[in-house]
Amino acid sequence: MLEISDLRVSYPATEGRVEVVHGVDLRLERGSRVALVGESGSGKSVTARAVLQLDQDAAYSGSIRLDGEELLGMSARRIRSIRGFKVGLVFQDPLTSLNPVMRVGWQIMQPLVIRGVDKKEARRRGVELLERLGVAEAGVRFDDYPHQFSGGMRQRVVIAIAVIAEPELLIADEPTTALDVRVQAQVLELLRDIAEERGLSVLLITHDLGIVAGFAEHVVVMRNGLVVERNDVDTLYASPSHPYTRGLLRAVPKIDGDPAQRLLSVDEIAEETQ
Amino acid sequence: MSLKIALRRPPKRRRSPLAERIALVVIALLVLLAVFGPSFAPYDPLKVDLALALLPPSPDHWFGTDMNGRDVFSRTLAGAQITLSATAFVLVVTLIIGVTVGTAAALGNRVVDEILMRITDVGLALPSIILALGFAVALGPGLLSAIIAVAATWWPGYARLVRSVVREVRHADYVEAATALGVSRWRLVRKHILPNSLDAIYVQVTLDVASVMLVISGLSFIGAGAQVPSPEWGAMIAGAAGNVTNGWWSLFFPGLAMMITAMAFNLAGDWVRVRRDPTLRDGIAR
Repeated sequence: MLEISDLRVSYPATEGRVEVVHGVDLRLERGSRVALVGESGSGKSVTARAVLQLDQDAAYSGSIRLDGEELLGMSARRIRSIRGFKVGLVFQDPLTSLNPVMRVGWQIMQPLVIRGVDKKEARRRGVELLERLGVAEAGVRFDDYPHQFSGGMRQRVVIAIAVIAEPELLIADEPTTALDVRVQAQVLELLRDIAEERGLSVLLITHDLGIVAGFAEHVVVMRNGLVVERNDVDTLYASPSHPYTRGLLRAVPKIDGDPAQRLLSVDEIAEETQ
Repeated sequence: MSLKIALRRPPKRRRSPLAERIALVVIALLVLLAVFGPSFAPYDPLKVDLALALLPPSPDHWFGTDMNGRDVFSRTLAGAQITLSATAFVLVVTLIIGVTVGTAAALGNRVVDEILMRITDVGLALPSIILALGFAVALGPGLLSAIIAVAATWWPGYARLVRSVVREVRHADYVEAATALGVSRWRLVRKHILPNSLDAIYVQVTLDVASVMLVISGLSFIGAGAQVPSPEWGAMIAGAAGNVTNGWWSLFFPGLAMMITAMAFNLAGDWVRVRRDPTLRDGIAR
């Protein structure tokens, strides 16, 4: 359903433009879950966000097709009709991605309200969804402000906002980075369940290989704006073919590791195993 | 030991809520006076009776009478209406222009921003007193000239403030998140950017009530604003300035009214800020 080919993204710099994504290909089948992994600055976020073209400074070339429809070069109006409606985005930091002066219910209802859904109906669906996402007393909490929610609860609100308009594709941009480990697991599980229930495709962007295994079916590894490896999740963990992937995998700190041993950087491991 | 002391004494609040509550009651009274005051006035604020000139405060004339025998209490009441409505008018005009220009500059492209901000710079460079004198010459002295002059010199400050706040807010994650949901540009400004930008503005408005009032009265005092028979507070003081030694009450009471009004609005600024911000309103720290 999502087909990205030869995507290049560049940004204006002090002199000319700087290209940060150098021709990325990516395919996502309907209902599948793909993880896009890589270090900070590898271009994974830029690639995924190119689908919604949120960045006004960025220049794109190549092709991004959603259900066969070309998104690059589409009019601003058409792009807006896709945002939230066909493609939902879950943001990284639930503390900053909710409007602090609006009640959470209002924010959950918003994607429906702007598309002309009756407010009562929008509220009913919002409360139902929030309840499904495990927020106790959703009907009461609906009228609270974001600061009255804990981090994990806020991320559930963010997920509710992303999925309420029933998009077909969900882009989750490091959805658990701002959460503690236990809540991370809960949120990911919830995200997977809701994706399965609704037949959503999910593109998970993360630098944490620890959370990928239980979530995604396919993994795409990016580095310096290029895809270096793509594989199904079991193969990737069992026998990573690219030295960089091996580096990423070994750079995950282990709880039973020797505490005297210095943690190696991805580059060091990649060099050593090359 | 020191810990015990620290525990026993909670940190002092900068201003007690009591002061804010009194300020709000005073403001409510002032607004009521501005609306209904003239009908309570025991005498006609403009009626001259030289036989009653410069009577000191008494049960008949609470604030005494001025050199023309007019009741200072009645005039101060009538002045509340004139001064406060002129102030409110200036602030409303200022807000409309300032928010529009500031938001347009912050969200528009470089050219729009540049043009609007240079105009703003020109506005900031003009001293309101000089401009008001210019308007007084051009339009004839009067309260309207003073209002136009103050509004014309006051909005650029707001445009600057709004622009800087909006520029910050537009890059906030929740604004980007709303964009990612397909929220339209207009709704984005109305429902996400402005509500998060205006807190600073509301506080500024409450603080500016006092300043605007003082400038309008100041303009009336130097003769560029409301003219002498008018009971505008500044004009009253100007008219009575010659009687400081033999009739202090004729300028003391309008001055006192101005002072009380200015203080009440300054104190109310804090209250407005706390009310506007939901994270402070419920007493839960972020």
